[in-house]
Amino acid sequence: MSYGLLVADVRRNVFEERNFDLLGFCSLLGVDPYILLPEGDYAINPSHFKKIIKVGLQEEEFLNPLNMAHVVERAIQEFGNPYAVILSSSSSGMEIAPYVAGYFKVPIITDVSNYDGESKIFYKSYYSDKVLGHFKVEDGNFFVVTVRSGSFKAQAKEKYGDVEYVTINVEKKTEKRSFLGYIEEERQEVDITKADFLISIGRGVGSKDEIPAYEELASLLKATLSASRPVTDKQWLPKERQVGTSGKTVKPKVYLAMGISGAFQHIAGMRDSECIIAVNKDPEAPIFQYAHYGIVGDMHKLRDKLREILKG
Amino acid sequence: MKILVFVKRVAAAQEEELKIIKDGEDIDLSKLPFKMNDWDSYAIEEAIRIVEKAGGQVAAISIGDRESDDVLRRSIAMGAKEGFLLNRDKPIIDPVLRAKLAFNFIKGENVNFDVIFTGVQAEDDQFGVFGGYLAALLGLPYASMVVRIEDLGEGYMVVRRELEGGLIERIKVSTPCILSIQTGINEPRYVSIMGIRKASQVERKVYEASLYMEGLFSGIELLKWSYPPKKEGAKLLPGDMDAACKELLNILREKGVYQ
Amino acid sequence: MGPLEIKRVFSCIQCGKCTGSCPESGRTPLNVRILVRRSQLGHGIDNSHLWYCTSCGTCTLRCPRDVKPSELIFSIRGLLVESGEISLSVQKALENTFLQKNPWGRARTKRAEWVSKAGLDVKHIKEVSEKRLLLSCCVHAYDPRCSVIPVNISRILGRCGVEFGILGEEEACCGNEIRRLGERGLFEELQEENTSNFRKYGIREIIALSPHCMNAISKEYGSVDFKVYHYTEVLWMMIKEGQLRIEKEYKKRVIYHDPCFLGKQNGIFEEPRNILKSISGLELIEFSRSRENSLCCEGGGGRMFYEVGTNYERNAKIRVNEAFERKAEVIAVSCPFCLMTLEEQAVEKGIEVKDISEILMEVI
Repeated sequence: MSYGLLVADVRRNVFEERNFDLLGFCSLLGVDPYILLPEGDYAINPSHFKKIIKVGLQEEEFLNPLNMAHVVERAIQEFGNPYAVILSSSSSGMEIAPYVAGYFKVPIITDVSNYDGESKIFYKSYYSDKVLGHFKVEDGNFFVVTVRSGSFKAQAKEKYGDVEYVTINVEKKTEKRSFLGYIEEERQEVDITKADFLISIGRGVGSKDEIPAYEELASLLKATLSASRPVTDKQWLPKERQVGTSGKTVKPKVYLAMGISGAFQHIAGMRDSECIIAVNKDPEAPIFQYAHYGIVGDMHKLRDKLREILKG
Repeated sequence: MKILVFVKRVAAAQEEELKIIKDGEDIDLSKLPFKMNDWDSYAIEEAIRIVEKAGGQVAAISIGDRESDDVLRRSIAMGAKEGFLLNRDKPIIDPVLRAKLAFNFIKGENVNFDVIFTGVQAEDDQFGVFGGYLAALLGLPYASMVVRIEDLGEGYMVVRRELEGGLIERIKVSTPCILSIQTGINEPRYVSIMGIRKASQVERKVYEASLYMEGLFSGIELLKWSYPPKKEGAKLLPGDMDAACKELLNILREKGVYQ
Repeated sequence: MGPLEIKRVFSCIQCGKCTGSCPESGRTPLNVRILVRRSQLGHGIDNSHLWYCTSCGTCTLRCPRDVKPSELIFSIRGLLVESGEISLSVQKALENTFLQKNPWGRARTKRAEWVSKAGLDVKHIKEVSEKRLLLSCCVHAYDPRCSVIPVNISRILGRCGVEFGILGEEEACCGNEIRRLGERGLFEELQEENTSNFRKYGIREIIALSPHCMNAISKEYGSVDFKVYHYTEVLWMMIKEGQLRIEKEYKKRVIYHDPCFLGKQNGIFEEPRNILKSISGLELIEFSRSRENSLCCEGGGGRMFYEVGTNYERNAKIRVNEAFERKAEVIAVSCPFCLMTLEEQAVEKGIEVKDISEILMEVI
């Protein structure tokens, strides 16, 4: 009976939420989940897995694609070929997956956002989600797959009361790539193009005096403040915060546009944001055409309510 | 230092609503302008900057049809010394097939290099597979999402990788190696139209891809295209401020920007 | 510098008329006279100064020695473009224009979306027997605020039975600002493509909605065998000949702003005014600086696509303040760049900025 070999998405001792997508996907494939974990303690619920395979490698060595190829090799020696090696579409998964696939010269499909177990069709988005490709993976030894975060976690179920713990070791650790250290981004000069979450202030803010409260909100939400041109022109926020054609182009995970009408010079600077949330008093404001979510209302009131909830 | 950079010509589909035609068999790209894959221009720019500082040369390779000459000319206009086209009229869907083709070409033509750069992914298929797979085939060390090349030493490079949440990882990779370059590593220089015209004077060698694809077959098969489930304009959150805020925080949690 | 340029530069007698007329001088570091002087002496210049120029052309128009200082600025900008020493926003504008034929990089396939969005029945020029082309600026094509202008003109022409067509997705940037930004190669590409299309469809007449497009095609595209008009010329003719009837009143105090590319550079001052004067109830007043002396709105020369370093009081603000002092209710414009730069400032003073076509739509 084949199994799904999950490569745990971990970083700095955190067992990421994204791992539930691996589980859900494995469930759709109809095989039992065996998960590879490095040394160290991770907050996992064992009843999700059929086998928990502890690998004799430190976390950073584990995440080294060159080592992971050997880890998978060891796992195959122990447990036979998996049905698939499953990873996250994350900074670790995206790097490891193609290397491991190339090492074994097996097929690979990435960023899968849907799967039909009956027809065995994998759905993968093209052109930034504009179209969906329907794929079949050729039969072979096994294949490698990365799954899009959020797409499969609903299918993750607790099933196993009798989870088995195994340990494997790799003899050869690579010397061709080694981990040196982590750097936290120093926030001296704010680079809004690097922020994951932007709260962007538009002309609707009305006055410079309202800005500090938005700074507080941004701080509470661990977001970065950006702005549209009317605000930076007045120097209520520095020019480096400006989003738009004559400012910066940003692509954060979340773009919360507050009091921004949606003039196209602004839109051009943020329309590729993953999730655009617009707040504006005017229900006809053009920004609502580009946003994923909208709140028709007073931006100050929303700001204050959010601060209340976050501080309370 | 000799840096090989793989560059891809892609359709500029940012604002388009793509049309699926022939009953799901194809996407209509006929009206779209084409350009160099965003990630690849960062890769070329980075390679050029390295050789401008440390000496050496950059060679650009593209796998695609004859029109891919555009991206080779652009690479040359940016400073690459040479350009090669692995010509193939029909696009190769499977990145594994492209990696195997590149492997055969490199081995078959004895292509010299110290480092290979690719972009992290292509704007069209967004597979992000080519660089890593090729690295494994060639037995070379690999790193992706490279946002800074800190140090070039004798037989190694120290690079920075961009992880989630602004965290950066520093690693040491021995050369020769393959790096997949992330956007934002630099600011690709402007290439004027006259610059591109001048680049036409440099020979871009064309090889027939089929000569290096004997016996190769795809690992994945594209059956058809379809549209993803439709999203309606902005989904308006409840009018009540309280409810709207709570819903907003949920969305933020779901997107992973707020815990 | 080419021989012609050198000759021009050395004709300069340093009279200072250029700097005296420059809308940027005194408030930004740009000093045209000194620029020419330093070019004569072969001294270096501060490249950043060049980007303040709005290409209003006043310096070239006033120069008694035909030095054409604005052209000198464009040439030097050209050198910077070739060496890539340009700001990121200028770079993006040029790259976008190369790719999608408009400086914002908006999809070319959506160039004529204003037609379907307004539910109009405007045809491609190839389907129309009278080869009269309505040409929209990139701003008209893509900015929601300005897209009402081609819609208005289409309606007006249609109502008066004037046949016309558009290029639709084949419409491309005219290149007026592109040349002024220094990207000579890209300007030539645009010129070639546009000229080829005009020829292909046998265009006999072009009605340009933007003075910038009118300027580029009539003066900088080489010899063309068709007529190029700004829409105000055409509409005034139609009003004069009774084809276009003004039925209603417009009871507002309106101040007219001469765009640089319509007014001082192409001598079209009266037609827009005549249109406004023919509307009953409309009280037309003038700015202190009007006609040839009109104050540049600072939208031209590429200034729409990038930000300059210094913070100083923008001409648009000065203009709006004057309109406010003169108790104008509406600032009438006939150029999309003027519309956008003035409206941005006017909104705070409660003054409306309207394109002439918008005023007309309310009275016909």
